[in-house]
Amino acid sequence: MTIKATFTGFAAALALATPALADYPERTIELTIPAGAGGGTDTSARKLALLLEEKLGTSIAVLNVSGGGGSVGASQFMQAAPDGYSLFATWNSPLTTVPQVQDVAYSLDSFTPIASTSETAYTLCVKADFPATTGEEFLAELDANPGKYTYGNDGIGGTMQLAAERIFQAKGIEAVAIPFGGAGETLQNFLGGHVDIYGGSISTVLPYVESGEAKCPLVTSAADVPALEGASGLAALGLADKETLLWRAILGPKGMDPAIVAKLADTIEEAVNDPSYVEFLATKGEVPNVVKGDALGARLHSEFDALAEVSKGLGL
Amino acid sequence: MEFYTNALTSVLAWGPLGAMIGATLLGVLIGALPGLNPVMAIALLLPLTYSMDPLIALGMVAGIYNGSMYGGAIPAILLRIPGTPASIATTFDGFPMADRGEASKALKIACWSSAIGGIASAIALMTMGPLLARLTLFFGPAEYFWIAIFGMASVGVMVGSDPVKGIMAAVLGLLIGTMGIDNLSGQARFTFGQTWLLGGLDLVVVLVGLYALPPVLQLAEKRDLVGLSSGQLKLKSAPFEKGEIRGLIPTWLRSSGIGILVGILPGAGGNIAAFLSYNAARNASDDPASFGKGNPQGVAAAECGNNADNAASMIPALSLGIPGNVVAALVLSALTIHGLQPGPQLFHQNPILVGGFMMEMLITSVLIFALGGMVATRVFAQFQRLPGVLLVPSILILMCVGVYVINGRMVDLWVMLAAGLAGYFLEKVNVPLAPVILGMILGPMAEQSVRRALLISRGDATELLTRPLSAALAVMTLLVILWPIAKSLQRRRKAKPV
Repeated sequence: MTIKATFTGFAAALALATPALADYPERTIELTIPAGAGGGTDTSARKLALLLEEKLGTSIAVLNVSGGGGSVGASQFMQAAPDGYSLFATWNSPLTTVPQVQDVAYSLDSFTPIASTSETAYTLCVKADFPATTGEEFLAELDANPGKYTYGNDGIGGTMQLAAERIFQAKGIEAVAIPFGGAGETLQNFLGGHVDIYGGSISTVLPYVESGEAKCPLVTSAADVPALEGASGLAALGLADKETLLWRAILGPKGMDPAIVAKLADTIEEAVNDPSYVEFLATKGEVPNVVKGDALGARLHSEFDALAEVSKGLGL
Repeated sequence: MEFYTNALTSVLAWGPLGAMIGATLLGVLIGALPGLNPVMAIALLLPLTYSMDPLIALGMVAGIYNGSMYGGAIPAILLRIPGTPASIATTFDGFPMADRGEASKALKIACWSSAIGGIASAIALMTMGPLLARLTLFFGPAEYFWIAIFGMASVGVMVGSDPVKGIMAAVLGLLIGTMGIDNLSGQARFTFGQTWLLGGLDLVVVLVGLYALPPVLQLAEKRDLVGLSSGQLKLKSAPFEKGEIRGLIPTWLRSSGIGILVGILPGAGGNIAAFLSYNAARNASDDPASFGKGNPQGVAAAECGNNADNAASMIPALSLGIPGNVVAALVLSALTIHGLQPGPQLFHQNPILVGGFMMEMLITSVLIFALGGMVATRVFAQFQRLPGVLLVPSILILMCVGVYVINGRMVDLWVMLAAGLAGYFLEKVNVPLAPVILGMILGPMAEQSVRRALLISRGDATELLTRPLSAALAVMTLLVILWPIAKSLQRRRKAKPV
């Protein structure tokens, strides 16, 4: 009797622990965002969550846990149960960049990669009167004046800084990095002439390129970016392998059921390619980019290794 | 002008109007509950706006934002618990007023001052937005450093009767402010290996503990089981006496100006605006000693200052695409979702939407006159009648819920409790609490700015003084320190004729 009761109890617990895929999702999903409300990661994730709610037929509760360049949210999330009801919407930096400079409790293996959603390049821009316009001239000007120019970036050891330093290291360039709290703050200091070079997201600086106040010689993607006509992609400068992008993805805690991962990845792919989402991404200068499951894991690992090399060179 | 008349007709439709009224009421409620804050409410609301008429959505944002700035004053006055960080300065004189039976007068002054500050700010946004926005660009790291030092110099006013204790409190705040990842080196400071400390201590969590728990414990100490009967609560209307409004006008003008100036600077917020306004009102007063003891001017200055920050904080966001605070960032993202590109061209892209939002900031400020007064005095003030035995647990539960939803983690509740106990004991030994919060806000701002300025000048400290604007700010800081000293010397000389 006791044994039987224990056994049925155990079986019931087991059934609870691994819900049949057919039933998933049957309750609210909690989506942790490792950044504050209102930023780029937050708005993209909240918009995507609305589409996912519709497609999954469940509600999604968003939780912003900011701090430490995303590491606070990532550390808190890694302890969640891998049952598919806790998801993590992040940009690449907390996973591949932050661990290079901070002593974090998590590694790439603490998460189950589900799917990436969108990506965009960073750009380096200067005022209209800067003595260089093309990417080649720009790098030559910096090279000829070591330590003369300051460039604003999104934070020390952030992806933006590493993206720039990868290019500078390859060319032996020395520029002074000034870390700010985000692209908006960098823009303010760039427009006010407090720093010489703007380093950050494209959408933030775009209105000033259109008005002629700023020009952008360079983007950090291999290919050119249609929105920034004058900017050289890295391939054109012979630096295609130094590409660094800002991209976003949804992950779960370590050890998720592969069937649930696959279902989520397919749903995310559908939602990202929904015309309303593509249009939304375009307003932020981003394009859809879906890499699923193990391929996403491989992408994370290779980016982590490349950035480890740069930050070692920087002595971070 | 046509710009605004067109916008006005779209805003005065039933949908946006209803949204503004409802949201202003909701905002007052959110502001009045310690722990709940407008940022959370607006963040929850915004995804819904993707598929909604944008003017309805932005009307709700405006209502919640303006309403909550005023709502924070209600518990600040009635219970000495600031509902938002920006209403700390309101407790200084608001609670002493309530304590001597003038709660409804204090609430009325807070309501009028909030509305007037909000209206002044909205008018500045509508008339001088792009101009003021360009002004903010002159402020680089060196200038931000001086602004933070200027703010800290004003702590002098908050230190109370014993300057040593006040300075100790400020230093405590500065120390707490250094916790977490250092933004300029990436090093973790005072985190003791705890990952949740990497982001530093959350200002709102500390604030709720430090400010809400001591008054709650004091309520509990009274062991009040009965509460007040309706007759004992003097809530009959408190009309302004003759000349009273005229006496407040200089304070309203001054505080509106300060609030707008602080508002346009990205990074500075309503809490700094309220502190600086309060300080300025005290410095301008003939009787500075009456501040902190229930001087209506103190309530007017603080509430007018924090509401004047609101619409002005939208100026760099709308004109330059640079969000100065989280609410501005949320509004910006709402506008981009509707296909607008923040920046110099925004005003031409969709005048109805941008002008409409500005109108809504104005209208919701006006609504505070009507809704704020009614809700606060008729409904919220009744809570004062509740016996402590009901009030204490209810406030505690609200505090815990508010703090938990910020980051969704239990440890924040412990931080709140620890901050609360610390606050309770600090008050017992007469250490003022306001400098702690001010140190937490201004310390990181001063430190990061000065280090950035030195990075840019390659370590040359004279650049902190040789730029025209930074030099002017340094002189102002010196004046704000010397002014009260000069004034008290003068008074002493008058009292002791030579």
